[in-house]
Amino acid sequence: MRVVIIPSLTELRIKVNPTKKEEREGLPNILMPWVFAPWPEAKNEGVIEAQIEGPTLRALLNELSVLYKKAGVDFEPINSKTNDVDFDYEILVNGRTRVDLPQGLETTLGDGNEVVVKMNMLWDG
Amino acid sequence: MLSESEVIRYNRQLKIPGFGEESQKKLKASHVVVVGMGGLGCASATYLTAAGIGRITIIDFDVVELSNLNRQVLYWEEEIGEKKVFVAQRKLSKLNPRAEIIPVFATVEQDTISQLLTGAHVVLDGLDHFSTRLIVNSACVRHKIPFIYGGVSRFRGRVTTILPGETACLACLYPEGSPGGGGLGVLGVVPAVVANIQALEAIKLLIGYGPSLAGKLFRFNGNDMKVQIDELQKNENCSVCSPRFRD
Repeated sequence: MRVVIIPSLTELRIKVNPTKKEEREGLPNILMPWVFAPWPEAKNEGVIEAQIEGPTLRALLNELSVLYKKAGVDFEPINSKTNDVDFDYEILVNGRTRVDLPQGLETTLGDGNEVVVKMNMLWDG
Repeated sequence: MLSESEVIRYNRQLKIPGFGEESQKKLKASHVVVVGMGGLGCASATYLTAAGIGRITIIDFDVVELSNLNRQVLYWEEEIGEKKVFVAQRKLSKLNPRAEIIPVFATVEQDTISQLLTGAHVVLDGLDHFSTRLIVNSACVRHKIPFIYGGVSRFRGRVTTILPGETACLACLYPEGSPGGGGLGVLGVVPAVVANIQALEAIKLLIGYGPSLAGKLFRFNGNDMKVQIDELQKNENCSVCSPRFRD
């Protein structure tokens, strides 16, 4: 599937097979560039396009990890030990957290779906 | 001038090249506020007291409970039911009678926080809800007091040092507001690790070394012992720290 990665303020938005051109225009600057826009071209073009093998949420997140590794960023939304979403991140599909999705990480993504990756801010003291 | 007993007490840190009596006097003249005396606050307050901070205000609204004792090491079983700040004050004062430990039994509220932070040179986060952290953050930004954020969960922790006017503040990172607290469990040693990173940052700030985590997010993962330190950018449209909203 074709995806467009749109780094937002504190999250990553990923549009699946978007029908219209996706841009960052109007969006505020990125606070966590080391996670959300590590590619040099992201500064100029604002969005990153990629091809993902496989139709599922898991496939998307795994491929993101590979893409980020190539850009020198240690970003692993899927924890390799637990094989589940890493505690550092929250994942939403079309506004629903992935725990609310009946198929969880095996959810098949469709055209126009939006996946959001946020940093987890639920920390104790 | 340090007294003879102070020279002996702080001997091990006075020996550190570049530290010396000057740094120790700076610590003695400093006022640190620790907001929240749970897992983080107990550890940071203890080591700041030991290091010779002259004045430490400790703020909490809670009493000691049995479930606290895996990580809140200032409290003992016989003190269950007692107010945390007074138990802590008692113990910290015995650890270092030269430190003035000021207990404040209070909740963190929008309309009283400024008063609670009066005179602070640095504020340490020991809270467990993002909403109260944001209240402290706003007050620190308003009064230009460095705020050292800490958070823990399970085997992980994170720290950032917020220098108002210079770095991103906590509201920059979550402009949509508070997502609530964690409550996902924590191993007792983890807040100790994180709190001591906070205390180290505070000490470095106070003696003029410069905090290493200003504008950076320190992430510690105790599962695999990975540490990551990454840049944080300011949110130019932050409703708390952006100049056009602040002034």
